[in-house]
Amino acid sequence: MELAGLSTDQAPPISAPLRFFLTAPFFAILAGILILLSDSSTLFSRYSIESIAITHAITIGFLGFVMLGALMQMLPVLAGVKIYKIKTITLYSHIILVLGVVFMVYGLYFSEPFINLLAAIFLVFGFLTLLIPMLVALKDVNNFSPTVKAINTSLIFAIISILIGGYLLFGYFTGTITHIHLIVADIHSVWAIFGFVGILIIGVAFQVIPMFYVAPRFKPFCKRRVVHIISAGLLVWAFLNIFFPEYEYIAKTWVSLFFFAFASAVWVKLNNRRRPTSDVTVWYWRTSSIFMCIGFFAWVFNSYLDDAYIVIISVIIGGGFILSIMIGMLYKIVPFLVWFHLNAKGYMSIPTMNEMTNKKISIAQFILYLLSVVGFIFSYFYPAILVYSALSFIISMVLLEYNIIKPVLVYIKTIKTKPDFDMSAFDMKV
Amino acid sequence: MSTIKEYLTNDHRNCDELFASMEEVANTSLQTAKEVTQKFIDASERHFQMEERVMFAEFEQKTGMTQGPTAMMRHEHEQMRGLMKQLIDAIEEDNKDKFFGTTETLMILLQQHNMKEEQMLYTMAQQHLSAESNRIVDMMDSMIVE
Repeated sequence: MELAGLSTDQAPPISAPLRFFLTAPFFAILAGILILLSDSSTLFSRYSIESIAITHAITIGFLGFVMLGALMQMLPVLAGVKIYKIKTITLYSHIILVLGVVFMVYGLYFSEPFINLLAAIFLVFGFLTLLIPMLVALKDVNNFSPTVKAINTSLIFAIISILIGGYLLFGYFTGTITHIHLIVADIHSVWAIFGFVGILIIGVAFQVIPMFYVAPRFKPFCKRRVVHIISAGLLVWAFLNIFFPEYEYIAKTWVSLFFFAFASAVWVKLNNRRRPTSDVTVWYWRTSSIFMCIGFFAWVFNSYLDDAYIVIISVIIGGGFILSIMIGMLYKIVPFLVWFHLNAKGYMSIPTMNEMTNKKISIAQFILYLLSVVGFIFSYFYPAILVYSALSFIISMVLLEYNIIKPVLVYIKTIKTKPDFDMSAFDMKV
Repeated sequence: MSTIKEYLTNDHRNCDELFASMEEVANTSLQTAKEVTQKFIDASERHFQMEERVMFAEFEQKTGMTQGPTAMMRHEHEQMRGLMKQLIDAIEEDNKDKFFGTTETLMILLQQHNMKEEQMLYTMAQQHLSAESNRIVDMMDSMIVE
């Protein structure tokens, strides 16, 4: 075991995760604007260029960015790993990924093959420069807790999904989209959503829910086996999807059942939590559990309907289940990071975490977000409400950005004005 | 007898239970929460001292690492002591917002601190101090808080 694993300079500088967190809502706003400008009929086709561009503004631009920021922050705490040259890596990979998403949206929208090529290169390169050092750092961990195992598995699914994604985007450069692309696109999306994001969320929840809410712990069977069972299910699903597509629903049912079991476990644990506080993050966890249950059942059921409702299911799972967890997490992590880094620099009279964000705005933000997701689902049947849902989504993301910039402004102001005795001379670099 | 890791991890959970009770009582009335808040602070202080005066000291002596993980943990103990003082201030000012704002910050600080200890430091300590594990647990158990 590496003794230096836990050193004072082990946590990444505050700028590393924050640059990813603060950028994320901008991509969600971009997605909202694109939805607003699009024709509803094109959005309801999964393979339309608009759908692909908007989906990736959310999945890479919002979800991907938040997860990368969170991983940087969590890996040192959860696994004691130090990521090699984290400051430099995050600085450059952030720029590369921002450009990658912008190029992808632009390239697809305006059918610019060369821009699509650049997007593919930037996105693959940007993700891998972050994910590979993380995976390498995890190799040295001796105490492999269920959470660390889940993160490790999720990173492997992430890397495969990203490479497949790069290959698919490359197809828009060469202009050859074949039947193989469609099969591969299925594996790309299912492994990214369930393998990368789903398994990551499960692993982190094992640790975070019992600890932060003083809730009952997850059962040892759940902690030890669920990740293996889901991973095996995803591998079997990919095999069936390629060779025996008529039986793929068996693997889907398998994967869904365990996600469903997990979602209900989260719900029960939150009900039995000892902490009385019920803030917006608890609502987000609950919203997420509900969408997770509905989403997975709908996903299986959709197999019997010839995948007719795949767009709605993507909205339920991506927009309802995953997005809500990410937003809820931002409300906790950003104010905490600001408090933690200021306190470690010796500033004692700083606002508490709750004072850094505006509670009323976070409630409004939650309601608007929820309305927009429900609106997006129903706009499939009533296209007229798409515009209102998009507007609601845009406003909710603007409010989210406001609420996470607010703590960062507290940080900047404190550093600039040095309100109390400056103890930076005794600074423990955090 | 429990190992160093088991003993201190269980003590974390005891402190968590007290933390939850403190919030529970404070949620109804801040004034009635004074006693349970003090109980939580005392239990945490005892835990910090068991580490700082016994386990960390033994670990540092054995490994020669005084500026490594234990220094970071001591620093975080100081951060938490600061927040605990603010809890008492909030009760005296009868300021519920300040109280729950502080418990929120304290909870995250506490839990990420506990994670680092439970995942890494205690495991390291158990490896390096396994021969003296019983003696160290005994010393922590019978320690009188200063």
